[in-house]
Amino acid sequence: MTAYLIARNTFREATRDRVLGGVVAAGVVLLLATQLLSPLVLGEGRRLTVDLGLSGISVLGFLVVLMVGTSLVAKEIEKRTIYNLLSRPISRHAYLIGKWGGLSATLWVVAASLGFALWLVLAARGSAGHGPAVLEATYLTALELTVVTAVAVLFSAVSTPMLSALYTVGVYAVGQWSYDLRALASQFPPTLGNLLKAAANLVPNLPLFNMRTLAADGHTTSLLHLGVASAYAALYCTAALCLATAAFEKRDFK
Amino acid sequence: MRGVEIRNREGSASLARPHGEEPPDPSLAVCARGLSKIYRHPWTLKQTPALEDLDLEVRRGEVFGYLGPNGAGKTTTLKLLAGLLRPTRGRAWLLGLPIAGEPSRRRLGFLPEQPYFYDYLNGLELLELAGRLSGLQAHEACQRAKHWLGRVGLGDRPRLVLRKYSKGMLQRLGLAATLLHEPELVILDEPMSGLDPFGRREVREIIQEQRELGVSVMFSSHILPDVEMLCDRVGIVLGGRLIRTATVGELMGEGRCSVEIRCIGTPLLETPPRWRAHLSRVEHPEGTAFVLADAGLVDEVVGWLHSNGVRLRAITPQRATLEELFMAAAHEAPAVPGVRSA
Repeated sequence: MTAYLIARNTFREATRDRVLGGVVAAGVVLLLATQLLSPLVLGEGRRLTVDLGLSGISVLGFLVVLMVGTSLVAKEIEKRTIYNLLSRPISRHAYLIGKWGGLSATLWVVAASLGFALWLVLAARGSAGHGPAVLEATYLTALELTVVTAVAVLFSAVSTPMLSALYTVGVYAVGQWSYDLRALASQFPPTLGNLLKAAANLVPNLPLFNMRTLAADGHTTSLLHLGVASAYAALYCTAALCLATAAFEKRDFK
Repeated sequence: MRGVEIRNREGSASLARPHGEEPPDPSLAVCARGLSKIYRHPWTLKQTPALEDLDLEVRRGEVFGYLGPNGAGKTTTLKLLAGLLRPTRGRAWLLGLPIAGEPSRRRLGFLPEQPYFYDYLNGLELLELAGRLSGLQAHEACQRAKHWLGRVGLGDRPRLVLRKYSKGMLQRLGLAATLLHEPELVILDEPMSGLDPFGRREVREIIQEQRELGVSVMFSSHILPDVEMLCDRVGIVLGGRLIRTATVGELMGEGRCSVEIRCIGTPLLETPPRWRAHLSRVEHPEGTAFVLADAGLVDEVVGWLHSNGVRLRAITPQRATLEELFMAAAHEAPAVPGVRSA
């Protein structure tokens, strides 16, 4: 219950932040820009709209994680608002879960809004049939953002906003190239190769959440893919939040 | 007087029982045994003690003042009790429950020094959130939020966002958030700081009201007249160690009591040599004041003044203030180097 209350408050904080309004506005502008560019891509306008629209959701969502998520806990410590929470009957893990849940909920709302806007644009172009593909791709993008938020909360719980932003960018970048990192590992001697493989396994497997190419062609993915991606996201978030809790449990608030 | 007096290492009594081995006396609101906090620098590993071997007992229903200069360890103690700092050694209980778990904070109200709140919320929303997080149901939290907002004088603009609140308004809102869920124990860190005289009086009234309701109150303050007015007992912490605890009455009783005798018509009167060490004379435009350091001599001095034809205007006992006693205790205490507070 306390985690829910903190999540609700975090959601309220994020939705009242001007950053979020700016991000949604930027997403809409991006979608409109795709319509201006469509005549230049010789019949590939629909593909451009879907591809850029879905990429926009992912990138803009990541910006929200960077601007809000990486300072989610650190800012509370810095501003001392955390004193008013943790001096109440709230466990530290409930607090972290609440923070993560609140921001994740915000990102789901952003993703859903932009995904719906994308479908409206496609419908206006006569491609309303792309709806299921856009829905699935938006769902996977929101899952991806949920995982990245868990990573951001982990770093935010143990570090300063600036450092946690840097670490989150690093993990996000390596996570996006985790398949390439595994391929690269096989090119190196076993010791270094194993190290690279371990690093690739440690960072989130973000390509698992990317079905933009499929969606651009109007194809949907399998239920198995959606199920595996959901289970992986749940597992990764749990692990990241457990680590964050372990570090946060011993932390002093001076 | 119930319970056991506070003990400390330098104090006259010491605890025979080992630190924190048995559950505390249920009549205690706060109980600490050997509570210590030592900060360690992450790179140099240099250790800095902030609080050392605190043995403290605050009884249920009493108002306890926690005094000490800046950096003495007051805030560290209060944050340890509120669960914001983890103790390096020792144990403590709030209302019989160990501070390590969140159940101990269920019946606690804690006001940090210079409280900060989410500036995107308004006063009503903040109090509702505070109530819900302290275990109140939504409807009850809403009702109490409205009541307390009015009680601390902020009820006329319940939707004003907190970023527009002044420092004094935030302090009063913090007090409301602390008391909203009707805690049995209230810990306040400098509750009067940043308040104007009206605000201070309001806080004093609220603390007195809590005392009448049977709530235990422990608060730190630099404003000694307020402490003197409100507290049943006080503890003085210096250099991370509790050096003294006593009732305000005991402390005041220990202070030297002088007597001021105001009179008219004494220009040629010379103080007898036997009283010169005890009797000082101060001339005022409206007469003369004799300050008698030893109250036991008052009858003799008055008789002497009468016999010399002096007209008395007032005889006023002058007690040492808590501030003077505190300063004296601070000067008497041994210096503990390198101690700082959170």
